[in-house]
Amino acid sequence: MSEPTTGRTESAESAEPDFLKVSDLHAGYGQARVLQGLDFSVARGEVCAILGPNGAGKTTTLRALCGMVRGRGSVTLNGTELLGRSPEQAARLGVAHVPEGRGTFNDLTVEENLRIGAHLRTGLGRRGRAGRAAVAADLERIYDYFPKLRQRSRQAAGSLSGGEQQMLAIGRALMLRPSLLLLDEPSLGLAPLVTRELFEIVRAVNEEERTTVVVVEQNAQLALDVAHQAHVLEAGRLVLSGPAAQIREDGQVAEVYLGVSVSSRKAG
Amino acid sequence: MSAVTEFLQQVTEGLGSGAVYASLALALVLIHRFTGIVNFAQGELAMISTYVAWQLVASGMSFWLALPVTLAVSFAGGMLIERIVIRPVQGAPELTVVIVTVGLFVFVNAMAGLIWSFTVKDFPQQFPDGGIDLAGVRVDWSTLGIIGVVAVVMGLLYLLFQHISAGLVMRAVACNPASARLAGIRVSRVLMLGWGLAATVGAVSGVLVAPVLFLEPNMMGGVLIYAFAAATLGGFDSPVGAVVGGLFVGVAETLTGAYVDVVGADLKVGVPLVIILAVLLARPQGLFGRAAVERA
Repeated sequence: MSEPTTGRTESAESAEPDFLKVSDLHAGYGQARVLQGLDFSVARGEVCAILGPNGAGKTTTLRALCGMVRGRGSVTLNGTELLGRSPEQAARLGVAHVPEGRGTFNDLTVEENLRIGAHLRTGLGRRGRAGRAAVAADLERIYDYFPKLRQRSRQAAGSLSGGEQQMLAIGRALMLRPSLLLLDEPSLGLAPLVTRELFEIVRAVNEEERTTVVVVEQNAQLALDVAHQAHVLEAGRLVLSGPAAQIREDGQVAEVYLGVSVSSRKAG
Repeated sequence: MSAVTEFLQQVTEGLGSGAVYASLALALVLIHRFTGIVNFAQGELAMISTYVAWQLVASGMSFWLALPVTLAVSFAGGMLIERIVIRPVQGAPELTVVIVTVGLFVFVNAMAGLIWSFTVKDFPQQFPDGGIDLAGVRVDWSTLGIIGVVAVVMGLLYLLFQHISAGLVMRAVACNPASARLAGIRVSRVLMLGWGLAATVGAVSGVLVAPVLFLEPNMMGGVLIYAFAAATLGGFDSPVGAVVGGLFVGVAETLTGAYVDVVGADLKVGVPLVIILAVLLARPQGLFGRAAVERA
């Protein structure tokens, strides 16, 4: 068995393998039942990639985790049940979701978008000098990850390019200081180079902040480079799970399920 | 009096009534920005707030004490209406929501009649008589007072939205409620605040106009039409547009009443309708509004 040239072979060596634990998760929209019972766990500090073709239920999985769609079964984060909560409650429990299509506040400036991300920490009664200083420090931290956002801090978010908006969406999510970061198709509609840059930043954030990440992607190559664990979803069921490096190596299996050649496919 | 002075005199008076339209238009725009709802009952809410002020003054309270109490009552009332009347239909088809606000209009109007009767009441003039003379143009204290109060309201709103974190949160909700929830913002509470704020701003228009129009349950009917014209002209999603539109409509009303013989005093209520029609034909998004773009 050859060592992969890129990708993450090291595990996060978490003492908490079940930091996020999804058990028998069912979810859907009205009559349409999208998820047919998912079981997986994400260890604290790890990046988990959920791959699969269009319509497999990747986005629905993330939406069920953050309360945007109702789910049945059980999803616990650090032992706390997430199902049955609204998105704003999930956010208060440390779940930051970067939705498909980014969901930036286009009328607000870049910096205002980021400040909204810190809303939970600057709300009434938590303002104070210490709170403000912490938010200012976090702003700097985000600008260090995304120098382009610093240049554009006074611009309306609506005037940014797609890649910059995605950076802003991730930056805003990080301002929440989440314990769980959910990324829905961060590469959607972006140029390959921009996508690669984004995933490098996601990797850096994961390494430096030890933020647990669940990323949903169609671009399997990129996601597997960053992820520790990966799951392949098809028609609402997990058909393949394992360490990202292993799934990456097992190109043939992935090809069958993903409809793409994982090992030879270029980014984008 | 020269023709120019006469003209300026008319413009000044137009600005006075325009300020009242601006403040009701501002209330309409606030609710529209937050909830996408056009609130046909906005004028009636202002009317009932004015009755509250009248009742307080009639029971012996000084006007300048009754005003903040009225505004606080209006704020609470607006929040309450959002919670019990509007929230159940939030997200329902547009027509449903329109009918609910029209129903609210009829209900509030009838309630006011029931409680205070439909007879006209004298509302105390809070500004002193007389005025000042500016290069031959006579400006009443009441006109100045109205413009001043509306300017203060605008200034406070600007402060709230641009410099206070609660205002930033409100703008975020108006811009993208789904993302606001993901950031942990309790959107439904913010919408309640938005309705409370709008009711308060609307109440200001009612209290300002009551001494001129006299207080009765149908007092705000005409003002609402002018406010609609103002909001349409300025753009239904633009607070600045509401104010500019309000002043413009006020001046247009006075000038056509004074200079266009056919229009005169009787037909000048037609002015806002002409403005609404013209704007909808030429620039549906209004002067300061943005065209709605449906993403495919």
